[in-house]
Amino acid sequence: MVAIAGGALAVLTVGAASTAARTTLAQAQSGPISIGVVAPFTGPAAEFGTLISAPCYAATLLINKAGGVMGHTFNCVPVDDTGDAADAVPNVERAIATVPNFDMAIGLESNTAATTVPLVNRARIPLITTNGLVAYDKTKDKYFWRLTPADNANGAAFMAFAAERGLKRVAIIFENNITATGNLPGVLAAVPKLHQTIALNLTIPADAASYSSVVERVIAAKPQALIFSADPQSTATFLSEYSQLNSGKLPVMITATDSLTPDFFNAVTKAVGVGYITHKVFLVGSYFANNTPAFYSYSKAMYADPHTKKIASVITTVGPPASAFDGINIAALAMLESHSTLGPVYNSWITKVVAASPGAQVVHTFAAGKAALAAGRKIQFVGVVGAVTFNKYHNFAGEFAATVFRPNKSAVRVAIISGSEVSQLLG
Amino acid sequence: MSLLIDAIGFGIASGAVLALGAVGFTVQFGISSILNITYGSLMTLAAYFGLLLVGAGLSIWLALAVGALMVGLISVVFHRVLLGPMVKRGIRPFGLIVVTVACGIVLQYIVVAVVGPTAQSYGNVSGATLRFLGMTFTTAQLVIIAITASLMLALHLLLTRTKLGRAMRATSANRTLAQSCGIATDRISDVAWLISGSLCGAAGVALAITVATFDFTLGSVFLVPMIAAAVLGGVGQPYGAMLGGLVVGISTQVAGALWNPAYQDVIALVILIAMLLLRPRGFFGAAWSSRRLLA
Repeated sequence: MVAIAGGALAVLTVGAASTAARTTLAQAQSGPISIGVVAPFTGPAAEFGTLISAPCYAATLLINKAGGVMGHTFNCVPVDDTGDAADAVPNVERAIATVPNFDMAIGLESNTAATTVPLVNRARIPLITTNGLVAYDKTKDKYFWRLTPADNANGAAFMAFAAERGLKRVAIIFENNITATGNLPGVLAAVPKLHQTIALNLTIPADAASYSSVVERVIAAKPQALIFSADPQSTATFLSEYSQLNSGKLPVMITATDSLTPDFFNAVTKAVGVGYITHKVFLVGSYFANNTPAFYSYSKAMYADPHTKKIASVITTVGPPASAFDGINIAALAMLESHSTLGPVYNSWITKVVAASPGAQVVHTFAAGKAALAAGRKIQFVGVVGAVTFNKYHNFAGEFAATVFRPNKSAVRVAIISGSEVSQLLG
Repeated sequence: MSLLIDAIGFGIASGAVLALGAVGFTVQFGISSILNITYGSLMTLAAYFGLLLVGAGLSIWLALAVGALMVGLISVVFHRVLLGPMVKRGIRPFGLIVVTVACGIVLQYIVVAVVGPTAQSYGNVSGATLRFLGMTFTTAQLVIIAITASLMLALHLLLTRTKLGRAMRATSANRTLAQSCGIATDRISDVAWLISGSLCGAAGVALAITVATFDFTLGSVFLVPMIAAAVLGGVGQPYGAMLGGLVVGISTQVAGALWNPAYQDVIALVILIAMLLLRPRGFFGAAWSSRRLLA
């Protein structure tokens, strides 16, 4: 009993010391503010780390150009979560304990969120996540912020787009993982309301050597469209076998904008050709207008930064990076408004930065917001994803869009799906 | 019914690739008693060798042969330089497994450092789709099945009809006794690692042909069903591994056709557990153990 109590005391002491150390570090606040990009930088999902770092580099470029926050510049610090929830824990804990001025986090993707979000939240670091897990629709994590739709909303948007294209009979094929299957409740909720038919609903394992049997079942079900979500390799194998077994004919595929990556483009193109991916694969995800002042600033920064310019053409069409970009700007402006770079202080100012209020000046960039605040005005930040209204769970979904690849791997938007329609389908 | 027959055909096609890998794996274990987990990463390496050779203008089938041989030679070096000396220094089997796991991870990281994480492909090499006995195959699948059958036959002839094969069997059964009978057991080990490594390489290239695109995780993903096939057949028994490959391939595809495909890989593992409970020595059991070719 004494031993247990002693152990517990030791744990509490270490925990308290760790928090104290963080607070002391934060209060000292010399040097740049670190934005932890919590994402996989090694392993099979390493490409995601590169993609989600891009908005961080773009945002910090603009923030630093505008003079930073209270004399601090901003740095993007990769925190490798490896894509594995268990392996992520020591890496994130180490970053929390050792990265100087770790006052903001982005990323925290679906595969690792179960372990990384609690750690970062407990360390009182405001986090802007790009994960779509339904579990966070009603989170009570105080430092959690999300400007991207939950996966179930995405699923409903898939079906709304299918209906718009007159596709009534669909086969649902989702890979056996939390992100892909997270779309399913939304799809199932939307289908009866849109008078559609599910020809087949299957979950497939990742990276199988062959999906021929599954493909044969799908072909026999005669779907007009595949509602699909899987990793690039599995998708390529599936489509290649579909083409072989169906005399080269492939149905329309509707999938998530998570797949709007060079890796997905390469894999599918190598398996079934560029004609299919540019004409019959539609990627549905959160929408933002590409003719706003905020977008121009975002896009310009993406093309200007040497880290991001190679992938700028694709990434500026995708919702999650744009939401991370906006999230960083919102958090930086909240620091200015609260006169503090400490997470526990500026966190409660985040909703105020985006809220419409009488006399508030609408600003689209960090620089404009900083100037307005310096002039003593109230501000409402309207960024790339548009005007944001966080609900009481710190969630904001917005609108949806369907995108297709171009042959040069860039992407173009082909349809917009309203957020209210998606909400109705889910309701 | 036609779906079931088709699934059996698909199972034979994927089982052929599994059998290639499983036989190599089991020969390696039979001759050296080392559970070589690096095998999966060597398969990946072979796939990338194949890519290099196809890029250099070789036909896919010649690339398969050359890639297989290259991995065979690397396997010999791997055994000679690392695993063999460790065995001689008395490192226990568990330690050797950990070493091969570590080597597999290191090799995987080297591959990704050199070629990057993005998907690669040999292009459209699957050829025409053909119907045969109610089953559907691509030309490439039929060639892979033929290659597997030929290699299995060649291995059978080697083990049963040649002096080298008898020496391999003797080394496998009792290394010390074989040595005292004048068999150059180190050289026999080299030959066994060359053969098994070549089968590993052939399986890697064949798998890369089958899956349309691949990346650096190719072999490691395939390792579990392949070990399942080897264990099903009774580790150390090449004929068992051939049959194990077919059983795993067919059961996986039939499960995907008739049941929930999310669990298609689980079926093979359930069969494996059941087999170990009922027939711990594999398909051919104790009756075969006195006649088996290796171990």
